[in-house]
Amino acid sequence: LRIDGRRATEIRRISCKPSVLSQADGSAYIEQGNTKCLAAVYGPREPRQKSAILHNRANISVGVSFAPFATSERKKWGKSDKRLLEIASFVKQTFEPVIQTSSFPRSQIDIFLQILQFDGGTVQICINATTMALVDAGIPMNDYVCACTAGVIQQVPILAYDDKLMSQDNPVDLNLIEESSNSPEVTVAILAESGKVTLLQSESRLSLKKLQAVAQLAKAGCREICDVMDKALRKNVKDLFGKMEA
Amino acid sequence: MPVLISPAEREYIINGVDHNIRADGRGRLDYRQIVIETGLIPQASGSARCRLGEGTDVLVGVNVEVGQVDMEGDDEVIRERKSKRGRVICNVECSPIASQQFAGRGAEDFNNELTQTLDRVLNGPQGGLNLEKLCIIPGAECWVVNIDALILDYAGNLLDMVFITTRAALHNTKVPKTIITKTEDGLEFDFSDDMEDAERIEGWENVPIAVTLSKIGSRHIVDATPLEELTVDARLLVAVNKNGKICGVQKGGSGSIEPSLLNEMIQTGGTIGQHVIQKLDEQLEREEKETSKKIVRNESVGKLGFFAAI
Repeated sequence: LRIDGRRATEIRRISCKPSVLSQADGSAYIEQGNTKCLAAVYGPREPRQKSAILHNRANISVGVSFAPFATSERKKWGKSDKRLLEIASFVKQTFEPVIQTSSFPRSQIDIFLQILQFDGGTVQICINATTMALVDAGIPMNDYVCACTAGVIQQVPILAYDDKLMSQDNPVDLNLIEESSNSPEVTVAILAESGKVTLLQSESRLSLKKLQAVAQLAKAGCREICDVMDKALRKNVKDLFGKMEA
Repeated sequence: MPVLISPAEREYIINGVDHNIRADGRGRLDYRQIVIETGLIPQASGSARCRLGEGTDVLVGVNVEVGQVDMEGDDEVIRERKSKRGRVICNVECSPIASQQFAGRGAEDFNNELTQTLDRVLNGPQGGLNLEKLCIIPGAECWVVNIDALILDYAGNLLDMVFITTRAALHNTKVPKTIITKTEDGLEFDFSDDMEDAERIEGWENVPIAVTLSKIGSRHIVDATPLEELTVDARLLVAVNKNGKICGVQKGGSGSIEPSLLNEMIQTGGTIGQHVIQKLDEQLEREEKETSKKIVRNESVGKLGFFAAI
């Protein structure tokens, strides 16, 4: 059992809702445990800067911001904070091959993410929120992109590197306390239908033997998250149809 | 958010306002429906979120932390007074998700403007909060109240909503209890981490709210939508507290207002403001009663939070 009472392969409680903002073309709100994120998509529209025009496809720009009260210690985040820029570039990199940008040459798609409360798993929640917001905006994509983290907590002695044992102990969907501990962690983003990996990110030392098992766990977590998001999106469209019929 | 408006649309709005009918059917002095919820952010000392109609959405988090007393001032008297008070620091941020024009550096000027206005009213003589009570050790330590407002969605009337949400968040703010002990080196303090001992911040009920009156044609309206804001010549911000006393007036916009109309607008702002505060306080009380009922019955206090929709 982990600190918050979950089992190793259990993801946090997740709830999400699309179409929450009035001005954005597409928006979504997603809560994974205590991490809360609001995403807004504007586009495709005319680029603000001439330098951003690409002749054969749409330009994607991503911006991430943290609210000052998002962390337990109040902190004002600057606009060009390196960590935020890095997260933004991960999200952009993940979605560039998935969004059908060649359908909208010379235009711009803006994705803005606002983290309202932070309890671990920023990159994964940003990716999940972006997927929902893009679907809500009606921007054509090849597939759903879902992300999840997985880690390794060394509770077994060094000799016992057994595959079975590893899959029992490795936690999925880490929260802030687990992330801050020195154990290695991996973020994986997959395309839901094909199972292909679009993002694999890890900053810690992890042996190759474990990587396979950990990535599999993360993929399973992704599938669960994908189901929840899919349900929420379909429900939203059904509601809209219901209103039109009435 | 629209930045251009056609002359035909402009005429339509001005004529409508003249006949006391606005695009969404409201009268000139009608507010859109306000939904408030407090206590959404567990790690902040206090928080509130307000949604106006189906548009403007403001989230305010208040963090109370220990800091140094502000000892600056030219005058000896002012310095003396300041050394016995706590501090209030305001920060308003327009999130890029609220509108296309807030991306990158687009919101900087606007953020500054909103922050300064909020700061001026809350730190002014009619700010409402009992700053003396927030002082821990005179001349040394005090409570610093950090008010962070985040604008999540924009559909007009931002400043009013920022004030209303700030007031609601301050209602929800609890300051930890301090215990001051006398040692040989002087006074030392400690505060308890137990949230049961924390007391509500004093003076929240005297915090004023702002009513923005917009002059369109020869009439004035309250709670403008983005399109209406584009047709406005001049704007008047009236800060009112719950007793109906005017705590601040600021004119904005490029047009001008005749003195007779100015008086009328201030009076209107005062009455409407008082009415809004009354409604707001009723809603806050109702919410608090329901929350305590749920706690007594051991039910989970589920906040609608960001899923609140009208």
